[in-house]
Amino acid sequence: MGISAYLALASVLFGIGAVGFLTRRNMLIQLMSIELMLNSVNVLLLAFNRAYPGNHDGQAFAFFVIAVAAAEAAVGLAIVIAYFRVRQTIETDRATLLKY
Amino acid sequence: MHEDASQQLTLLLIILFPLAGAVVNGLFGRRLPRSLVGFIGVGSVTVSFILAVTSFAELFALRAEDSHKAALIYQFYEWFSLKLPNGAEVPINVRFLMDSLSGVMTLIVTGVGGLIHLYSVGYMSEDDGYPRFFSYLNLFMASMLILVLGSSLPVMFVGWEGVGLCSYLLIGYWYENRDYASAGRKAFVANRVGDFGVLIGMFILVGVVGSFEFADINAAAVSGQFRPNFPVWPFGVVPSIATVACLFLFLGCTGKSAQIPLYVWLPDAMAGPTPVSALIHAATMVTAGVYLCCRLSPLFITSDVAMSVIAVTGTLTALLAATIAVAQREMKKILAYSTVSQLGFMFAAVGVGYFAAGFFHVFTHAFFKACLFLGAGSVMHAVHAHGDADIFKLGGLKKQLPTTRWTFLVSCLAIAGVPLTSGFFSKDEILLGATAQIFRSDDRLMVAVGWFTLIGLTLAAVMTAFYMFRLYFLTFTGEYRSAGESGGGHGYDPHPHESPASMKIPLIFLGLGAIFAGYLGMPHIVPVIGSHLPSWWGEWMEASVTGHAHPESMKIINIASGLALAAMAIGIGSAWVLYRNKSKDVLAEKVPARLYALVFDKWRVDELYDAIIIGPIKQVATLVGRTDMTFVDALLTRLPSFNARELGRFLSRLQNGVVQTYGMVLVIGVVSVMAMFWTPRAHLEGAVEGGTLQLVAAPGLGYEYRWDADSDGEFEGGWSANRIHSPTYGLEDVREVILYVRSPRTGASHHYALTEQWTALDLDRLDTGWRRIRSSLPIVARLSDGKVQLRLNGAQVFGKTDTPEIIELTMGRGTGIENVLMVPRAKVEATVEVRNAFGNVSTASREMTLPDGYLPERHALFLDATKGVSR
Repeated sequence: MGISAYLALASVLFGIGAVGFLTRRNMLIQLMSIELMLNSVNVLLLAFNRAYPGNHDGQAFAFFVIAVAAAEAAVGLAIVIAYFRVRQTIETDRATLLKY
Repeated sequence: MHEDASQQLTLLLIILFPLAGAVVNGLFGRRLPRSLVGFIGVGSVTVSFILAVTSFAELFALRAEDSHKAALIYQFYEWFSLKLPNGAEVPINVRFLMDSLSGVMTLIVTGVGGLIHLYSVGYMSEDDGYPRFFSYLNLFMASMLILVLGSSLPVMFVGWEGVGLCSYLLIGYWYENRDYASAGRKAFVANRVGDFGVLIGMFILVGVVGSFEFADINAAAVSGQFRPNFPVWPFGVVPSIATVACLFLFLGCTGKSAQIPLYVWLPDAMAGPTPVSALIHAATMVTAGVYLCCRLSPLFITSDVAMSVIAVTGTLTALLAATIAVAQREMKKILAYSTVSQLGFMFAAVGVGYFAAGFFHVFTHAFFKACLFLGAGSVMHAVHAHGDADIFKLGGLKKQLPTTRWTFLVSCLAIAGVPLTSGFFSKDEILLGATAQIFRSDDRLMVAVGWFTLIGLTLAAVMTAFYMFRLYFLTFTGEYRSAGESGGGHGYDPHPHESPASMKIPLIFLGLGAIFAGYLGMPHIVPVIGSHLPSWWGEWMEASVTGHAHPESMKIINIASGLALAAMAIGIGSAWVLYRNKSKDVLAEKVPARLYALVFDKWRVDELYDAIIIGPIKQVATLVGRTDMTFVDALLTRLPSFNARELGRFLSRLQNGVVQTYGMVLVIGVVSVMAMFWTPRAHLEGAVEGGTLQLVAAPGLGYEYRWDADSDGEFEGGWSANRIHSPTYGLEDVREVILYVRSPRTGASHHYALTEQWTALDLDRLDTGWRRIRSSLPIVARLSDGKVQLRLNGAQVFGKTDTPEIIELTMGRGTGIENVLMVPRAKVEATVEVRNAFGNVSTASREMTLPDGYLPERHALFLDATKGVSR
């Protein structure tokens, strides 16, 4: 089985995340999709670290990614709340003020 | 010759004072009180006048003690220098010169100019643009003084253009009125036409003399440097250099001094305020042309043709303008045409070689014409006429305006040439010049010109006296014809009043000048009596102006004086009979109505110019304008901008603000980039580098290559990052042999792939120099037993009968057969395989012709190798 199972899992997770981000209009779902993509990368990092265990770079980077993901979630949720207060909705296709 | 003279700073100051006045009034005038503006305007010119008088006195003293060449010089600085085609360097100095000619002119300009400035204080007192007016007027003074005092043509030309500019500014002074503004433009354009002539004349002169200084040009003229024929002349009789140069300069004079054909601007120039008409368009600027002719009198007098042209043009102008003046109804119009006519007199004098007389008329004319214009201005001021005053609505003003009336009368007497007034002396001298030419010259042309000038000027003098007194009688005698007017509207003030002192003082001074200025130039010999008088003017001018000597014959003198007196008497007499105390235009009822209308319309010269010059130019301009609108604006400007705008509008739809769309585009981009790099891009080039053949594959990120130089399906080595491969080819690698055929004569070439079968070579169109003698079969070639064989099939080289039937050629070596070069060449094929980081592989192959001489020593082996070749 080796590493390829992990790679397949990560690819599927990333694909689900990307498609989810592109197709859903609900900001919360989009944030979740982003989390999914980030975590697929984490899976890859850990899998490679296990396959090539010379050092712990992969694990260390996974922590970084988790930290960034947490920060992103905090900022993202704050934006969602602020947006909801203005528009009474969290549908992204209503947020088109930047067009043209 | 003047270098040792001490610097006369005064000359510079004479110019700088009015210039400073112009700058101060122009920049700060709106914030200064009116009285100060007027003070600066008048004061600067007055100071200038005082300085001019002191300089003149110095010059006078210098003349008294020394030679005729006395002159004051101020060398300011060297402006720039010009390199002539022959390599000579011509310095252009800003240098000012006051000699007897420019000295007198300076006095006229500053003196009359000062009086007119003073007059303007009163005349313009109610105008909003008061500081602007004085600024322009002072600028004009400075320009005119540069014109007069400049010691060389370029410096004079600066003033020449400066006065043209000021004239334009002042004619269009009331620029809100479209007609006035366009009158200014007309003056400017007419002057530009003339200026072009001055420039050309200037270039001709400097080309011959190598100096712009008047003194040098005149010296060259005296020494005959302008006598030779003009070098470039396309047709007919070749004129001398002097003739061509003088005619070009005279063209400039016709523009500036309002002669035929460029006089049309001057009557329209009366759109400007009256002091402007008096100063610029009567007393000073318009005499610049006469001044230039006098300045260069030694040059002009060397060309009989140019002088005749000037005399005839002057006479015709004097006549034409005088006839027009007879029929006009408005004061300033009449005076304007009178000015044109009097300028014609001056040029006629110049044309018959009486430069001093012509300039004397400039001098006297400055007084009486300025006085007349200011008098007209005083009348207009009195009746509140704006622009111009219709004399048929005036009349009887001698009661209300005594000062104006008397000065006006005196000036009328002077311009009509009543004995003992200034105009009498100057006009008499001009007629004397014309008469003298008839008797002096043996040349039939010159005599004819003399007769024409004399008769024309006498007629013009009759008309001058007539129209001036028509003007005087209708304005000042009889009853005031606007007395019943209500005052408002278009009518004149029913209660005229005399002008303020600041206007009366100049009138009185100028009136005195109109009488007494002439005594400076009394005739040398009194007619009839024959006794000699001191002619101060002639002696004074001798130093700067040449000309023909005065005749001593009493007959000539009597004829001239008799004609002048008769003309004056007839003119004044008929005006007395027709117009004294009358209120209607009696003359109009006595001549045919159509003729009168034609003259009243100024002979419709403006209409003629419109039809033959301005109309076509306008049509061309309209055409060009339309082209600009349809082609440049629409096709070149609006169409591309439309395209860009619409494209932008379309593309901006993509910016729809929805974050998913942007994300989608991003994903598509990432996928596209990945797809692009998924497979490697293989590309192969062959190059000859230092005698060896190199294969070069296209580079790429992370690419690895492996080579199969002979394309036999077996790679020579493993994968490597080396993208350049230098294989060695042997005969076993040859894929194909081609025969390269070239005709050096026509440059045409072909190549044919050879096999073991005979291949037809279509060589006939290569101009081989061969001919067929036995058959029409084509020439063929093949590979046979490893050789390249050529079978001629019955073709023969011209002139030979022993051309072998089979010719063998050597690989990679040119063989010339008569006109044809034949080279058999070997072709190989190379292949490269490229692998990228994803492990994908792609292949590229290339056919290459081995360079000539690549296989020289192995040629013998070729015999065996050919079978493998032609597969």
